[in-house]
Amino acid sequence: MNASALKTETSNAGVAIARTPSGQGRPVVAIEQLTKTYDAFTAVDSLSLEVGQGELLCLLGPSGCGKTTTLSMVAGFVQPSKGAIYIAGTEVTRLPPYKRDTGMVFQSYALFPHMTVAANVAFGLENLGVPKADRKRRVGEMLDLVELGHLAGRFPRELSGGQQQRVALARALALRPAVLLLDEPFSNLDAQLRVRLREEMRRLIDAVDITTLFVTHDQDEALVLSDRIVVMNKGRIEQIGTPQQIYEEPASRFVAEFIGSCSVLEGTLRDGEFRTPGGMRVPLPAAGNVDKALLVVRPEQVRCASPGTSPAFDARVENSSYYGGMTRLRLNACGEPLLMEAHFAGTDVPKPGDDIRVQINPIGMRLIPAS
Amino acid sequence: MGLDPADRLLGIAGWIVRPLVYAGLCIPAVIIVAASFTAGDALRFPPEGLSLRWYEAALSSGPFMNSLWTSVKLACLATIGALSLGLSAAMALDRYRFRGREAIRNLTLSPLVVPMVVLGIALLQFLAWMKLNQTFIGLLAGHVLITLPYVVRTLSASLVLFDRSIEQAAANLRAPPWRVLRLVTLPILLPAIASATVFAFVTSFGNVTLSIFLGTSKATTLPVQIFTYVEQNYDPVLAAVSALVIMVTLAMIVIIEKLVGVEKVA
Repeated sequence: MNASALKTETSNAGVAIARTPSGQGRPVVAIEQLTKTYDAFTAVDSLSLEVGQGELLCLLGPSGCGKTTTLSMVAGFVQPSKGAIYIAGTEVTRLPPYKRDTGMVFQSYALFPHMTVAANVAFGLENLGVPKADRKRRVGEMLDLVELGHLAGRFPRELSGGQQQRVALARALALRPAVLLLDEPFSNLDAQLRVRLREEMRRLIDAVDITTLFVTHDQDEALVLSDRIVVMNKGRIEQIGTPQQIYEEPASRFVAEFIGSCSVLEGTLRDGEFRTPGGMRVPLPAAGNVDKALLVVRPEQVRCASPGTSPAFDARVENSSYYGGMTRLRLNACGEPLLMEAHFAGTDVPKPGDDIRVQINPIGMRLIPAS
Repeated sequence: MGLDPADRLLGIAGWIVRPLVYAGLCIPAVIIVAASFTAGDALRFPPEGLSLRWYEAALSSGPFMNSLWTSVKLACLATIGALSLGLSAAMALDRYRFRGREAIRNLTLSPLVVPMVVLGIALLQFLAWMKLNQTFIGLLAGHVLITLPYVVRTLSASLVLFDRSIEQAAANLRAPPWRVLRLVTLPILLPAIASATVFAFVTSFGNVTLSIFLGTSKATTLPVQIFTYVEQNYDPVLAAVSALVIMVTLAMIVIIEKLVGVEKVA
């Protein structure tokens, strides 16, 4: 009896190590110069980032940008070609997956089809040799957390997609890992369920206060869920920032165009004014002279000009799509394509071919260097 | 329901053909089992009267019982051998990319392609050279060889559908590789392993050609024993022995289904 009690202590301590912040502000996950090459193809290119205690960090990018490869390297399923990975202060770069303190939710959920829900959640605890009574208690806690206690005896194939996802989450959290890894966890769900479940997921993650590394190609998911977003493209980091920074202050044309919709105008900066070849002039007093610059304009920052405002532009409506809450217009302003989103009352919705006068909210513009 | 006339025709044809196919599959077995209960001295259908005298004769016949035991032992050992080799081969072929992978895959399936007689002659030569001709080991090796393709094929098909992220999930939950194999991979592959076992056992148990070439005077398999018996005699003891063969095969399938669980074989 003493021996088993001792065992609980040590195994619990083993799991708990990462939860104790060993030095405030020290990152839970640190990635340094991580590189993965396959023959001539570089999937991940000298990537460095840190995930802080309790933070939800999202790797966002198009398919093939290296985000999933990065996550697989953190979990230990893919061996890096170069670089180092630290989890809770320990280097894990060469450790096999089962010696890393991570909990992962897979895109397919990867539940064990031959085990009940309870057995799925208990699996990790068994591997650590947690005694049966403790195991049972912990499984009960986890299933209560995801509100699936009544389905403990079911098999995964008897559950809906959303329920399977919650089992996968409970299973990953049961070991109290230092970091939770989520690989596109919503991509197998239909659109409505996806929106509901991501709110649910954020609530659960906040409830257990766990550091999370999250991979998605869905910008809405990233904006809604993340504390910080890492936008990736072709194996490299384009920008790291809060959702607001990423959306409102994109660092590159790629980030601007990948997150949300926008118009990117090409032009020159002269004497505090941005000029397009077509003759559109936008005052930007703080800007210096640049031969080639890009101006990012978000569609919701374009609005119908009130009489007498300056600067304002004449624009022709090329396309108009009614979305209920707002109407999306594709405009041609001084030869430049410009997107606009606004609410028009009833009969005032502009039709293709109409001429309207628009202005751009000065704080809704962002200059980025031409690539 | 506006069914296409062609569809309707095929539908009706299906209703006619299906019972015929099932009947064609069952009738030989039904005839031989029915004939085995005859009270008369000739092997014929329908049987003349009812008795178990030919079963008594079969069960008390030394050659038949010895060869039945040899066949069961041989089929069990060949199945175990083919399963261990075949499972490893199927895993390696599915999970690793290496030079000559396709060649090896085709090689494991080749016993299906090479005519059994040719294989028999070749193995006889080979085993003689290895000084293993006329031994049980040689016979066993031959049977492992002919049952291997069924095991590799069945398991390969199942491995193609295997979601590798399930194994990654197990590893992520701190299971070392051997625990992943024992608690996750093998249990999920169990239905495929069960059908591979049935295929291998039945193939070995019913084989005549190879066993004629590789058989020994001490260890004759049941099919070979029936074959040689038929050359001199034609009495209902053959029907009784055949019925026993059918029973052993069915028993094997039932045991496996009970072990694995019927719902999991689906």
